[in-house]
Order: sequence, then C-alpha cells, then structure tokens
Amino acid sequence: MSKTILVVDDSASIRQVVSMTLKGAGYSTIEASDGRDALAKLTGNRVHLVISDVNMPNMDGITLLKELKARPDTKFTPVIMLTTESEAAKKEQGRAAGAKAWVVKPFNPQQLMAAVGKLIMP
Amino acid sequence: MNMDAALQTFFTESRELLEDMESQLLQLEGIDEAQLQESLNAVFRAAHTIKGSAGIFNLDFIVAFTHVVESVLDRLRNQQIAIDEALVSLLLSCRDHIAALVDAAEAKEPPDVSAGEPLLAELQQYLAADAQPTSHAAATQVANTPPPFERMAADAVSNDCWHISVRFGLNSFRDGMDPLSFLTYLGTLGNLVSVTPLAEFIPALEQYDCESCYLGFAIQFASQASKQEIEDVFEFVKEDSELHIISPNSQLTEYIQLIESMPEIDQRLGEILLQCGALTAAELQRALSRQQQQQPTAPIGEILAHGDASLNPVLDAALTKQSKVRESLAKEQKSLRVDADKLDHLINLVGELVTAGAGTSLLADSLGDGNLCESVSILNGLLEEVRDAALKLRMVPIGATFSRFQRVVRDIAKELGKDIELQITGAETELDKSVVEKIGDPLMHLVRNAIDHGIESQATRLAQGKSERGEISLHAYHDSGNIVIEVGDDGKGLDPEVIRRKAIEKGLLDEQSNLSDEELFNIIFEPGFSTAAQVSNLSGRGVGMDVVKRNIADLRGRVEVLSQLGQGSTMRIILPLTLAIIDGFVIGVADEQYVLPLDTVLECLELNSAELDSTDEPYINLRGQVLPLIFLRDYLAVRGSKPRRQSIVVVQSGGQSAGIVVDRLYGEFQTVIKPLGKLFSRVGCVSGSTILGNGTVALILDIHGLLDAMIAYEQLQYRR
Repeated sequence: MSKTILVVDDSASIRQVVSMTLKGAGYSTIEASDGRDALAKLTGNRVHLVISDVNMPNMDGITLLKELKARPDTKFTPVIMLTTESEAAKKEQGRAAGAKAWVVKPFNPQQLMAAVGKLIMP
Repeated sequence: MNMDAALQTFFTESRELLEDMESQLLQLEGIDEAQLQESLNAVFRAAHTIKGSAGIFNLDFIVAFTHVVESVLDRLRNQQIAIDEALVSLLLSCRDHIAALVDAAEAKEPPDVSAGEPLLAELQQYLAADAQPTSHAAATQVANTPPPFERMAADAVSNDCWHISVRFGLNSFRDGMDPLSFLTYLGTLGNLVSVTPLAEFIPALEQYDCESCYLGFAIQFASQASKQEIEDVFEFVKEDSELHIISPNSQLTEYIQLIESMPEIDQRLGEILLQCGALTAAELQRALSRQQQQQPTAPIGEILAHGDASLNPVLDAALTKQSKVRESLAKEQKSLRVDADKLDHLINLVGELVTAGAGTSLLADSLGDGNLCESVSILNGLLEEVRDAALKLRMVPIGATFSRFQRVVRDIAKELGKDIELQITGAETELDKSVVEKIGDPLMHLVRNAIDHGIESQATRLAQGKSERGEISLHAYHDSGNIVIEVGDDGKGLDPEVIRRKAIEKGLLDEQSNLSDEELFNIIFEPGFSTAAQVSNLSGRGVGMDVVKRNIADLRGRVEVLSQLGQGSTMRIILPLTLAIIDGFVIGVADEQYVLPLDTVLECLELNSAELDSTDEPYINLRGQVLPLIFLRDYLAVRGSKPRRQSIVVVQSGGQSAGIVVDRLYGEFQTVIKPLGKLFSRVGCVSGSTILGNGTVALILDIHGLLDAMIAYEQLQYRR
C-alpha cells in the first residue's frame, strides 16, 4: 500500500503540482485548501506526511501544526512547511511550534521529493 | 508528467542495455588487456544506468540487486579483483535475474526477489574478498529495516568510506522525524557499508521516555557524494542532532589536491576549507562560534583539528597554501616591476606636458581671462604633482649600492692586511635610478682609494695613537635639491705638500704658484696625477680620480675634497636630485631668457645703481655681508645698453653666495632639462637647455660653474 500525504495549500495550482509530483513518485495524496479543511479531511484517514503552506485563510499552517501535534494520531506525523524566503518571521514561529522541515518556494519537484524522501520511506 | 510513457522507455532501454551486457560478458574471456578494460567499462555502465533509472521509478528491488552487481563490476574494472570463468558465469546469471526483475516490473507482478539471494551471497564474496576489517566487528543491523540498501558485512569497511556519526535529538520523534527514513534516503546517495547503532545514550528503564529518541548511528558510507550533499540529508534534524561527517582517506587526498590547485587569493582558513569541501558551512559556523566562546581565542585551525583529527593533513595543506599566497601577495604589494623604458617614456611625456602647460599658462595670462587663468593654474598645480610623482617613480634608495661595498671593503682590506670597518648611513636616501646605476663605478674608485691610500697599516695607526681598526664611511643625505654622497675615511688624509711636489714633478703646477690647500686637493682630479709612490694592484695608476670627476660631471654633479692631514679625508659628491625636470627661475638679459635652478636662488633685490657707482667695485653690502656681483650682461658679452633698472638674483651654491645682475625677472617655471650637444661640453657655466612656454629655447645656467668662472676671472684680474 502506498503511503498517503496530505497536501495543504490555499492555491489550487500549487496543490496540483505537489500532488502530481507525489503521485508520480508513487504516493497517494489528499488535498486540503486550508488548516481547517485539512483537520476535517484527517478524520478517518491515516496520513504519513503533511505538506502544508504557512499562509492560508481560516487556519494557517503554524496553527495546523500545533493542532496536529496535539492529536494523538498525528502527533508523530512529519510535517513539511512550504514557505517563501520573505517569511523569516513566520519561519521563526514555525520553528518554535516544532516545524523542522522547510521547503522554500519556489521549489522544483526534485527538491520537494528530496525533502519527502528524508522524512518518509517510499 | 507522464510516468507511464517514461516507464516504457525505461523497460526498452533496460532490455537493450542487458543485451549489450550479455554480449560483452560473453567475450570477456580471452581478449587483450585494453579491450578487456573497455568491455568491463561497458558492462559497468549498463548496470549503472539500469540502477539509476530504476531508482527514478522507485523500482527498488531492481536498484537493490543491481547495486551489488555494480559494486562488483566496479571492483573488476578497477582491477581490485580478477576476472575468471566462475565470475563471468555469476555475472551472466545476475544479468538474467535483472532481466527477470525488469520483466516483473513491466508486468506489474511481484518480483521474485528470493531468486536473487543466492546470487547476492556469491557476489558478496567478491566484495568482501580483500576489504579492510573494521573496529565495529559486531555491527548490529538496524532492526526491522526492509532492505532498500544492501546489508553488507561490517568487515567490508575500508578507509575509502565516509564515516558518519549521527545522534538524533531527543525530540526527533515528536518532530515527526523518523531516523530510519534519513538512513534510507542516505542510501540513495551511495552505499551504506555498515550501520552501527550507538546504544550508549539509552537511559535506564525508569528514565526512559518512549516518545523520546535515543538513537545514534555510526555509519560507514561509500559514496561519490560531496560532504555538503551528505550533510544535506540530515538537513531537517541537524539543528537538534549531533552530526559528524569524516571524510574518507581518498577524499583527503582530493581535498589536498584541490587546495593546492586553488587560485592564489588571500583567503581565511575557513574559506579555503569550505571551498574545497573539507568543511561544510554549518561545520564552519559551529567551529567559529566555539572559537568566540573560548578565552583566549584559539586559532580556527586548532579548533577544527580538535574536532576532527582526520582533517589534520587537509588543515596543513590549507595553512601552507594560505601562507604561500599571503607571502606572494605581500611581495606583489611591495613592488611592481615596470620596464625602465616605459618609465622613461612616461617621464618624457610628463616633460612635454610640463612644457605645454607652461605655454598654456602664458597664453591664458596674455588673454587676461580670469576664469581661464584660474583653471589653468589649477591644471598646472596638478601637473606639478604629476611631475613629482612621475619622477619619484624613478627614485630608488641608494642602500643596495652601498651595501655592495661591505663585501668590497672586507675583501680588499683582507688582501692588504688592514682591519677596516665600513659604516653606512642614509641608505634610505633616494635618488634617480639612472644616477644610482652610474654612481657605482665612481664610488668604487673612491672607496678603493680610501682603503688603499687613506687607511694606514695597522702598525702605523697604532703608532699614531689611532684605533687599530680603520673606518670608512658611506654617507648619503639630501641638501637643498641635491643629493650628497660622502666617502670618508679616518686615515692619513691628503698632504698638501706631497700633492704640491707631485704636481710640480708632473708638470701640472708652476713652482711659483701659491695655491690654497683646497686648490691643491683639487689637483688630484687632474688627468695623469697619482700620489701613490708605488702603483698598487688596486689604485694609484693615475687614471682614477679624473675619471671619477668626469663620471660625476656627466651626472651634472661635482665632487669636493675635504681633508685634514692625519685625521682622514672625505670625498663629497654632490648630485642633482633629478636629471630630467627641475624648478627653474627665469631671468632675462637683453632679449634672451635664461633659467637658474630655483633651489639655488635665495632672493631677488633691485640693483641700486647709486650704491654701486660709488664704490666702483662689483660688491654690495647685503645686510652686513659682502655680496659679490656677477654682471650677466657683461659676462655673456651682450651688446646694447643696460636698462634703467636692473635686478640682483642672490644665489647660493656650495657655501658661496653671489648676486647675479640681470635685466628682468620672469619668475618660476618648471623646466625640462634638455641636454646640450657635444659641441657645448666645454662651456663651463651652462648645464643644459630648455624650451620655454612660448616655444623659445633658454639656456640653464650652472651656478656653481658660473661662480667658479667668476672667481677664476677675478683672480686673474687680481694677479694682473
């Protein structure tokens, strides 16, 4: 059974690119448009990795991360934060919340896959 | 992103490669060395390509098996193992197995991995054959790891492996980090030769927190990856983890070679190591922060060496490189070699520029435009600076010339059985390079004379109450626009009586003539005069001093003799500072203009005809001092009537002062000295010519010559 990755981003095109890249590498993906949507879609699904944008409406990536850490089923789930170079302050906040893996936008599929490969095995 | 299409390409490509591999393997036996190498390379490339492509499509069962085959092939082509029939059969079987795996992948069937296991076991024998045993003899495998990489015997570890030691942070699990996935990912960069878990951080059961990560691994890693690439694998955990990456031996040699081939730029040690890859940016940062904490601050090299002893050879290479580069840079900064011709050309141009500037200045003055005059004067100010800077380019210290005499004095003194010490002062005094070149010979003459004739023998010296050791001094200094070089000795000094006798004997002097000591001393510069009773090997051939005088005169200089009988003598050479451009003072007599070197001019006065007429003697009273006058108009035999008002230019040269009576004063002017033709070489009081701003030629008067001529003239008058 292939591993499942939750892709959270308010931009549909980024969700699509990330999903396609992951699917191409043999992962299954679930897409969510923001933090709240992501939490809703987690119910009943087991995910092996979460890739989340930082700036999103309704619930931002850092709040989502905190929520995930608080839930027993997602406590140990690795999270990759997508960020832009300009969001240095956000990155600090994220670090404090326990986000370790960061991928800077814009990224190419290889960079994303490298980050994924370090965190979960195919 | 059509993976299926790409996958199809992979299957086709793999089959072609496998076919090629088979035919190459079949012809391996019985071919010559060169062809064998080529075939092995082809087989290796085939396996390598299949492995690489399969990795992209996540066909890990193909990657895992092919990787081992590739490792064996690598050893084969590197001639670490020999090819034999058994190995060829084994490789052929492996090829068949890879083909079966590829077929299974295409059919999307589960691959029969177990069929490869006996083959793998056989392959391992070739890999382990001559490998180094490791200290981690009891290497434990990571539990429940599905083998995306080969589990290799720990004794396959050789020094050609990276040594990676990683201790994951306690929070790794809570951060969602799975240590195993990092190792798996590391496996994609190369071959995990051995993985030894480090269990010493696991606490007692009571303190054990099941959510905390106590894992650490010592990894032997065979890879072509760079240190940075390896460190990047642990990018997400490196903040909390302890990570040490130690380069393989072969890598060390590579680093050293890299360092040696680096461009010669002055760099910090850390930068050099970073650039060659021996150190990653993060490691350097860590070392630097450790350096800041330490009191007193240790050099970065020591901190790095302390952290990773294996780095030592690289550090040494980097330090050597650094000091070499710094040395050569320091040398470059100190001096720049420029062709002397280029400099001469530049100075010539500056000379022309000075002349042109003077012309512009004159023109501007005549136009009377205030703004133009101002800008021209700024331009000329700059021009003056350019001139001085350009002339300074040619200035070299006389020290090098002086120090050459240390050896000369020592050798000659030894030869003559004298004990002589050479004192040098003012070695830093700078003078024109061409002067330095030409002053060597005259100086040599003077020094030799001083040793030979000046300094007495040891016995004589002692008898006269002098110290046993004689002293010769070379002394250089600046004196009002001139360079003075003195060659002194504390020997017997010149005896005016001896010179007088000798001069009469040689027919150089009339017996009745009554000369001062100074005048007598000057006779030694006459051609054909030598005071040494016996012609020695070194000097006293009577060709010495006149040549010296001529050489120095060629440099527009002159030589004076100071001597005290029994106390020693000093030859004083006075040279102009530069040979090319001087500051001049332009004066006029009738319609002609003349230039006096500005540094000889003391002041200008108006000639009070009344005062002069009353005495009928060519002297005036200048603030209580007698100032002899030279009427340039008379001296140069200029015809025509004197102007109503004349001026006196008070000049000084060699301690003598005189007033030169001229018709007009024009003021200061930068003068480019143009030598006069040979025809004028006997004209005593003219040292050169120059072109004035308006294009007319003016003669440069030689004040010293003028004064001498004046004195001689007067003496002649007096005698009459």
